[in-house]
Amino acid sequence: MGDLDSAIAQLRACRPIPEAQVREICHKARELLVEEGNVVTVTAPVTICGDIHGQFHDLMELFRVGGDVPDTNYLFMGDFVDRGFYSLESFLLLLCLKVRYPDRMTLIRGNHESRQITMVYGFYDECMRKYGSANVWRYCCDVFDYLALGAIVLGSSYTDTSGPESARTSEEVEVEVCNANKQIMSQFRRDPSRGPRARSGATAAATTNGVDGAGATTNTGPPGSGASGSSGGSIGNPAGAVLCVHGGLSPLIETVDKIRLLDRKQEVPHEGAMCDLLWSDPDEIDGWGLSPRGAGFLFGADIVKQFNHKNDLSLIARAHQLVMEGFKEMFDARIVTVWSAPNYCYRCGNVAAFLELSDDDSGMGIFARSNGDVGRSDGGGSRGVLTENDAPMGGPFRRYRVFQAAAQDARGMPAKKPVADYFL
Amino acid sequence: MSSHITSPDAPFPTPLSATTTHPAPPFLITTRKLPILKSGPIDALSARLGIPIPEMIFGDNLVSITHAPTGWSLSFSAEPALALVDATGANMLRVAHATSWSSSREASGTVAEVVRAYDWSYSTSYKGTEIPVELLRRRDPILFHDEVVLYESELDDNGISLVSVKVRVMERRMLLLCRQYMRLDEVLARVRDTRVYVDFGEERVVREYTAREGGWGELKRALMMTGVPPDGIPVALRDSNQVAALIPVVETYRDSVCFKKAA
Repeated sequence: MGDLDSAIAQLRACRPIPEAQVREICHKARELLVEEGNVVTVTAPVTICGDIHGQFHDLMELFRVGGDVPDTNYLFMGDFVDRGFYSLESFLLLLCLKVRYPDRMTLIRGNHESRQITMVYGFYDECMRKYGSANVWRYCCDVFDYLALGAIVLGSSYTDTSGPESARTSEEVEVEVCNANKQIMSQFRRDPSRGPRARSGATAAATTNGVDGAGATTNTGPPGSGASGSSGGSIGNPAGAVLCVHGGLSPLIETVDKIRLLDRKQEVPHEGAMCDLLWSDPDEIDGWGLSPRGAGFLFGADIVKQFNHKNDLSLIARAHQLVMEGFKEMFDARIVTVWSAPNYCYRCGNVAAFLELSDDDSGMGIFARSNGDVGRSDGGGSRGVLTENDAPMGGPFRRYRVFQAAAQDARGMPAKKPVADYFL
Repeated sequence: MSSHITSPDAPFPTPLSATTTHPAPPFLITTRKLPILKSGPIDALSARLGIPIPEMIFGDNLVSITHAPTGWSLSFSAEPALALVDATGANMLRVAHATSWSSSREASGTVAEVVRAYDWSYSTSYKGTEIPVELLRRRDPILFHDEVVLYESELDDNGISLVSVKVRVMERRMLLLCRQYMRLDEVLARVRDTRVYVDFGEERVVREYTAREGGWGELKRALMMTGVPPDGIPVALRDSNQVAALIPVVETYRDSVCFKKAA
């Protein structure tokens, strides 16, 4: 542990660690990751982050704003490497933190965690430059093959439960956007026609959807698992599960359980479900579409709606696409893109964001389901499609914290100025 | 002047604060660098152009050369460049692994059509006349220089499509280079250059457009012939200058204008 702590300290200072130590840490990480399923279960509270792309100083800024590990429980949705100048330090720091605090750090695979992509987009060259050989790159790529493909966040709350009660955000607020200094920039109130639909207790708000009985409980297992649990839960204010994945959905995957069945321990293939999860994008289309580029899928609002319904999900969180504002909710807030690399490639001028989900503090079983529909977790066989009367579940309380790039002088490198070259 | 937000307290740059103007009488050279567009303006731009917008879209960036006495100007910005991207998909490229990808999809049978066909490689013939290269080879002191990106796409990690404008202004003349570099990995590379040469004394502007294109196999071979080792190829391919020198010219075009009245 001492070695690991010293490696963490060295990496935090943005200094590479010796090759032998990288090898050892990668080995330990693999032993740990091999035990994880393709879809990791994470319990709220959790801070969900998008692409990092080797922007080490901005990652440190993220930790400064979001809280340090292990105080904050983090989930990173891939693309740790490539493009930025410090892919090595960024990835190894996250990996060391994973090994040191396995329950407080979840790493899932992005499309850049691949041999082929890192050969082209910088990580390979960076390893060659910093170590003079490809060994470290190889150790890291071997770890990539073991990273989970997704995560399910359970037990997130409909309301803000962070911090002292007096300082919490009103129950009516569904989305809050804060800046790096924790000041509220904007708030969005919950649409009363949407969840939570199963509340009870003294403070129970009447359910707004006549179809559901207030406080109805169900006898099912964790959302997204398709399993059948034993005890009735669903008292308090837990929201539905949140699926986290780097890219998006796949036409080959109708249920989260199908992701669990994939053989993930390989290089990211050019095709198939695993490829889609890491590559696809939501788009304003109906159904599924092929990207005009000839590879990769686009999926529309109806696909997300059906998938979330079938899998008892209130939200899909994904990364993969640059968004100027740091996050972008689409399709009636059923899916969100989270982007955590500010001033991407040191020149886009965008802000970054991460998503904080509160935990349900009702103390009544964090795996409780959020809605009152019996039999929704039966794989959706009985009700595969949403009917018009079926109001969507409201999502969990979401706090987006927006942050900017670390100051240039903290980077230890000169601000990138175009050089006066005699181009022709 | 920094056009990027580099500290949490830095004010968001305004078009005015992000604009630099260099006088070279009777011409004015202006560059403007701002962050990528926000979601709202991206959606509006996409609606105007009828194509999805590259992920790094510097829609507020600008480079212009103005002849002050007449008000004539030549400017470079992202929207007119993208407006020349083929929106029909008639000349659509496919990424290298498209065939293997789609053949594996036939079994699933869920996806029939490509949505919104367009030239997703963002190749544009955007032009900004003969340029006296020898005069430009001279190491005259550079009084003003800048580089402004108009847009960039990583083509979903299948390569790069980048349009950027570089300027360098010397005492008596200037050169502007608006370059598109498009590299579709394992398929082809394109370099489309628009050079604008201005002679301040003669009040003459020459514009020259050169398009180059080469297939992947010949490009890789040519790189190896120049002594690039196999593992140096990815790095070499990132350098558009190196690539441009190795692929054939497929189109050229030239025009010019002179503001000085004949004596």
